[in-house]
Amino acid sequence: MSEDNKTPSVILENVSKWYGQVMGINDVSLAIDGGVTGILGPNGAGKSTLFKLLMGRLKPSQGSVKLFGIDPWSDTSPYRRIGYVSESERLYDWMTAQDFVSTLARLHGMTREEANARAEHVLDFVGLHDVRHKEIGKYSKGMRQRVKIAHALVHDPDLIILDEPLHGCDPIARTSIMNVIRELGSQGKTVLVSSHILEEIERITEQIVILHNGRLLALGNLYAIRDLLDKHPHRIMITTDEPRKLASAFISEEPVYGVRFPEEGKLEIQTNDLSAAHSVLPRVIVNSKVSVSRIDNPDDNLESLLGYLIGGT
Amino acid sequence: MSDDLIDLDGGQTRMEVAYGSDDGDNDSSAIVAKKEASLGAIFEQNYRPWDGNLGPRWVRNYAIFRHHVFGLFTSKGHRHYNPFVRLTILVIFIGAISPIAMLFFSSLFGAGPDSFIDKMWGINRSNLWGQVLGYFPRNLCYWPLLTALVVGGMISDDRRNGTSAIYFSRPVTRVDYTLMKYLSVAVVLGFVIVFSYMAYYTLAIVFKGEGWGFLIDTLPLFLSGLLCSLLLVITYTSIGLALSSISQSRFFSAIAFLSIIYGTKLVALLVDLQFETSILYVLSPYDCLAHLGQWLLGLELNYSHSLSLSVVSLIMMNLISIMILISRVSSLEVTRE
Amino acid sequence: MDDQGRKLSETVWTQLDRKAGAITELTIRQLRNRISTWVVLGVGVLLISLLLAFYIDSIRANFEPIDNDGDSEDWDNDGYPLGQEMIYGTSDYDTNNYPGSSEYVYLGDIDYNDQPRTHYGNHTWLYATGYFTPTWIDEEAESPFSYYNWIDWGSRGIDCPDGSPFDDWTYFQSPSYCALENGTYVVFGASFAGEGEISVEPGWSAEWGYMTESFFVEKHPKSMYIDEDPINGIDDDGDCLKDEYQTEDNSPNDSNRNGISCDVEWIYDQNGNLVSIRADNNVDEDPDDSEHIGESSHRTFIIGTGKIAFVMILGLFLPLFLALGLVRDESENGTLHYLLSKPIHRGEFILYRLLGYLGIVVSYTVMLILIVALITSLIGPGDSIVRLSDYPVWMGIALATILVLTAYGSIFNTVGLVMPKYGVYICILYGIWEFLMGLFTITIPNASITMLSVSHWAIQIIDAVVMISWSDTSLIQQKADAFGLETGISFFWHPPVHTLETGNPFVALIISVVIMLSISIGMIAIGQSIFRNKEIM
Repeated sequence: MSEDNKTPSVILENVSKWYGQVMGINDVSLAIDGGVTGILGPNGAGKSTLFKLLMGRLKPSQGSVKLFGIDPWSDTSPYRRIGYVSESERLYDWMTAQDFVSTLARLHGMTREEANARAEHVLDFVGLHDVRHKEIGKYSKGMRQRVKIAHALVHDPDLIILDEPLHGCDPIARTSIMNVIRELGSQGKTVLVSSHILEEIERITEQIVILHNGRLLALGNLYAIRDLLDKHPHRIMITTDEPRKLASAFISEEPVYGVRFPEEGKLEIQTNDLSAAHSVLPRVIVNSKVSVSRIDNPDDNLESLLGYLIGGT
Repeated sequence: MSDDLIDLDGGQTRMEVAYGSDDGDNDSSAIVAKKEASLGAIFEQNYRPWDGNLGPRWVRNYAIFRHHVFGLFTSKGHRHYNPFVRLTILVIFIGAISPIAMLFFSSLFGAGPDSFIDKMWGINRSNLWGQVLGYFPRNLCYWPLLTALVVGGMISDDRRNGTSAIYFSRPVTRVDYTLMKYLSVAVVLGFVIVFSYMAYYTLAIVFKGEGWGFLIDTLPLFLSGLLCSLLLVITYTSIGLALSSISQSRFFSAIAFLSIIYGTKLVALLVDLQFETSILYVLSPYDCLAHLGQWLLGLELNYSHSLSLSVVSLIMMNLISIMILISRVSSLEVTRE
Repeated sequence: MDDQGRKLSETVWTQLDRKAGAITELTIRQLRNRISTWVVLGVGVLLISLLLAFYIDSIRANFEPIDNDGDSEDWDNDGYPLGQEMIYGTSDYDTNNYPGSSEYVYLGDIDYNDQPRTHYGNHTWLYATGYFTPTWIDEEAESPFSYYNWIDWGSRGIDCPDGSPFDDWTYFQSPSYCALENGTYVVFGASFAGEGEISVEPGWSAEWGYMTESFFVEKHPKSMYIDEDPINGIDDDGDCLKDEYQTEDNSPNDSNRNGISCDVEWIYDQNGNLVSIRADNNVDEDPDDSEHIGESSHRTFIIGTGKIAFVMILGLFLPLFLALGLVRDESENGTLHYLLSKPIHRGEFILYRLLGYLGIVVSYTVMLILIVALITSLIGPGDSIVRLSDYPVWMGIALATILVLTAYGSIFNTVGLVMPKYGVYICILYGIWEFLMGLFTITIPNASITMLSVSHWAIQIIDAVVMISWSDTSLIQQKADAFGLETGISFFWHPPVHTLETGNPFVALIISVVIMLSISIGMIAIGQSIFRNKEIM
């Protein structure tokens, strides 16, 4: 335990995985430890493949995968400290959540009583305490996702891997699951969350890994990555009644190098330094006494980020 | 949890969330703004009746039929039959027409009517009966296996994958659907069972160079055998499709069909040997058919119970199966179960 | 350190145990929650109840004693059953001829051309035609045979016609007589008893003799002649030895032509194994139904049910329905991820899944077998209340069924893993093969091709256990064959084949068990090694 703490929980070294002719993961090296890390990438980027490699479901075609220093393909012992939420939507619909979680807890070698107590605790943690004796088949999608998370947490793991935990959830469920994930991160656990929606990850963590076509595109703090891309223009979209008046106020500011009026009632500011632009933004707006109804960062979605990253390399 | 996260005051209407109807979203609710929404527009919905020409019903039905039957030969655009299934059906078909090869050889050697080959494979009452209803290998291996493989996923796959929606979202009624599924299975079975029987009879006459007299003599026998084979196809199709409609798993229906055919036969055999009563054979579809076939072809009856019992049982089996099939198809949900 | 080590190992074992328990329990609950499981199990119960119903029905109908040879009947209504008359050599179609009845002994006669034609004496006269001048007539005497023309002296004869009474012989109706005025009787073909002189009419005849003393023979009850020859090779009731009137040359009955009359010949081969039994007629002809037919059809029922209902039907179809998808369905549904993300070895996982499946099917079959065993052992033939000797056989059947369920379960599970796509078709084909081989094993146990199936070895186990527990089964089988009793035991049971030439059923039992276990273990091992190296999407 103490030795493991020196090395990162997750280490991938030059890992490649191909299915026949198709590249799933292409030469990825990673080391992840501590806190919540978002794995970002569009569909087919290799997020699930990465997780399945981590969970020993797949054997890497090249390179090595180490969880707590152990190869998960040949040894199941790291699973003691890992919780995994797969992307699979199917559950045992005939079981109650309590049964489901406690049965899986027993696979960790807990006694029946221990498992029941742990299951109750963990279902309480994900907010399903009241309905834990209902059959899973009667649950909504958000509740099912939380059951899946509960089973991954039941043995108090050090590393939690969540494959698209927010997939198909309504905003309410989404919020509550995000709260759970943030809570886990604040407890000092290593949490890996995959998603193809930047906004989701943004609300959970700033630490991201971006995958695209099986390649590792970027790694690190979300905003730090954005800032590294300064040479690319960023846009800030302001919705206002008087765009021209506001534009004249902005154009004199240092970070702003251009303005556009894409449509009526909208002002687009182009900048090379997003954070600087953001810092001057409130002042300019207040000074110009123009009423602003909305400020958007249209580039802060995954597509544009990816667009920059791919274009940049 | 929804209550503390979302303020429900504004919305008076609780609306079932449209998506995921079957996922049990009972306690989630959508909030419909009453007055707060100052921005936005409601678009008037205009539905124009479709006034195109619908193809005639039989064309649609033929498409269903073709989809299932042609899939046996080419899987492009048609129902996919597992290559393994296709191979097995081919082997069964070859097995079923093997007497033709024997007769061909016998005609090459010019064997006489009393020769071994003619007795074994030539046209006579027993052989016409045996071509359809013989136990080994036809009714022990060929026909049950064939039916199990063909019938397996016929309706259960639709149940499992919700692909019945493909039919029911189009102008196809459930009657059409059931009828065409039934016809497809019957035609595939008939292709192997009835066609091989007819080919056997025709080619036997050609190879042996028989005259009109022989043809006239044996025609009633041939027709009786044909009736038997049609009854066999109908019965097996009914039972098989009924089983297929019960379950979502194609393997359940296949295995259940085999267990019905084999189980009843074996139990009846056990009881017959041990307690010397053949009455339990009325439970076995094959034995009812064999009994009727023996009577139709004028063979000595192997069963000591009355023929009418077998006939009644045969009719009951078909009726019950078709009733199950109808009730199951009419309750088939368009969504995935 | 040592203490710690023990503690550690304890923890490992108990943890293993808990994991096994959890997966086994999950599997059982999963199977329990599927309707098809209950349908399949219900059909199995129906099947067994159907067989039991037939069994109970046949116990009621068949084991009531039946007089197979009909010698309990009293055809001539003299109160003595046929069997008793056969023993005493009396006629069974003559009321006056019965065991202990007085018998006529021939002394002499006057034929149609003998000279002289008169005879005097105190005799019983038979078929006399002529003039009888009596000294004394025994009017009370009874005819030795009912069909002789016995004169009823009580009823007055007709008056003699004028002239010679024999001129118009159609005048008389036999047996008849008429009295002449001088006290002489004219008798015509009549039999009677009395003292006097007879003058036989030329061309006619008369015979005389005496009657033996009659003695009292107790009438046997009819039931003595039902089931009177238990099969033991001895003519217990003596109806073969005394059966003289049936053989024309009066030679002793020796229909098996071994020179000894009324015996049963047992033919052995050079190894001392009984080959066949050949019996003379009327020896062991009416075996005790409850003891022999009852016994052998009871055994047939148990063997047939064990082989066909349990091994071939339940043993084959339960795994097809329940074991095929044990791991395959999980990986298709994606629920496998939940189980495999726990610290459990994949090989263990397969094993525990199979354990769960076995938990259901084994308890189910054992329960069924117990019920059938209890009912049949209670109502089955025999003197004891409970037929304890059945239970080892039922245990053997349970063993064979469990081994079959295990073997098929591991085979189907492995095939489902190896070939997720074609596996089921292979399993269906394989099931048909097993079914076919099972049938062949029952009918032709010596065929070697059947050794390539699991059902063959399971049936061998039952054969061996039957031989161990009911060592006289082959005797019963031989007897049933020799005496033409249709019990079906020759169809359903053959001595075990694989005894390495020793003829010892234990050898066959051990060989079969070892082979079935190694098939199961081998299949599980193959499944484990494939599953371990399988990438799960």
